[in-house]
Amino acid sequence: MIQLIFFAFIGVALVASLVLLMRRGGARAEGDSRVLLDARKALDSLQGGLLPEELVHRIFARDDLEYVSSTAPKQVRDLFISERKKIAIAWIGQVRSQIASLKRFHVGAARSYAQLGLRTEIELGCQFAALLIGCRALQLAVSVGGPYAAPRMVEATATAAAKICTISEQSLAFLNPVQLKPFANNSLSS
Amino acid sequence: MQSSSTVRRMDVDQARKDLCRRTLSEIQRPLDRLIYLASMRDYNTGVYHHDGLASRFSEEVACEALADCHREAFRELVICPLDELVTQLDAYRSSTHTTPREFLTAWGRLEPYRVAVPVETDPLSAEFLFSNFKIALAVLEARLDSHPAGLAA
Repeated sequence: MIQLIFFAFIGVALVASLVLLMRRGGARAEGDSRVLLDARKALDSLQGGLLPEELVHRIFARDDLEYVSSTAPKQVRDLFISERKKIAIAWIGQVRSQIASLKRFHVGAARSYAQLGLRTEIELGCQFAALLIGCRALQLAVSVGGPYAAPRMVEATATAAAKICTISEQSLAFLNPVQLKPFANNSLSS
Repeated sequence: MQSSSTVRRMDVDQARKDLCRRTLSEIQRPLDRLIYLASMRDYNTGVYHHDGLASRFSEEVACEALADCHREAFRELVICPLDELVTQLDAYRSSTHTTPREFLTAWGRLEPYRVAVPVETDPLSAEFLFSNFKIALAVLEARLDSHPAGLAA
């Protein structure tokens, strides 16, 4: 009788773990595709909208401040500083959020899709951590000292983010339509 | 053999060059180009219309060429230094034949530049341009208050 209860218990446990595994597997596939799409969007947003050198330079350009200071009264200067601070903080926040999205992709799904070496993965992990901490520090510096408080940190943040984008681009390259070309040609010729 | 998308892209490039040569070369300032190109867009559908360009190419190609030029004008304006934006805004104001005070009041209240940005513009770039317009208007207003004759006629 005890043996029967024992085997019944084992059986129920096995079935329960099987059901659990199946459910987790389904959720993961769905979660992975979302992470993948988020990563693609994050990459496009960083490369196309947030990181172009000319835009970053313009947001943090001191010559605009000098122009306003030399040609307009104090209240316009104050308006300028407050507007630029708002934009600078928004820029840092968006860079941070998109980098966090790329990090989620690398932590979760990248291993399944991209062939990154162990060394690259470790380097990437360190770069993500440093960049996310750097963004927080920059946000704090700009919040306290204004948009011109840490120009070198801005430059370092933009450079590090661009580097991560380059690596992520390689990991997400399989999503590019160009990758489908040979397949399309093959299917036409067959 | 070229794919249809390549041919289409070549058509759009040709249409864009045609538009630049015939029309946009006459509009020197990026701000004027941005406003002109935004005015070519139907606010209800987001589709750009240009009869001349559409008759030489096609409606779709003309629409894409106009959208390309609109994005280009936006990019130029968003990275332009503040002093240049102020100069462009003042010159645009003088071309509208309104008084400086009327213009500054209307632009300050209505913020018409908000509807002049291309679709799918990165939100931060758009906010940055809006912020620069706000400051440029404040600079012009301060200039008007201190030297009423200081703005372009």
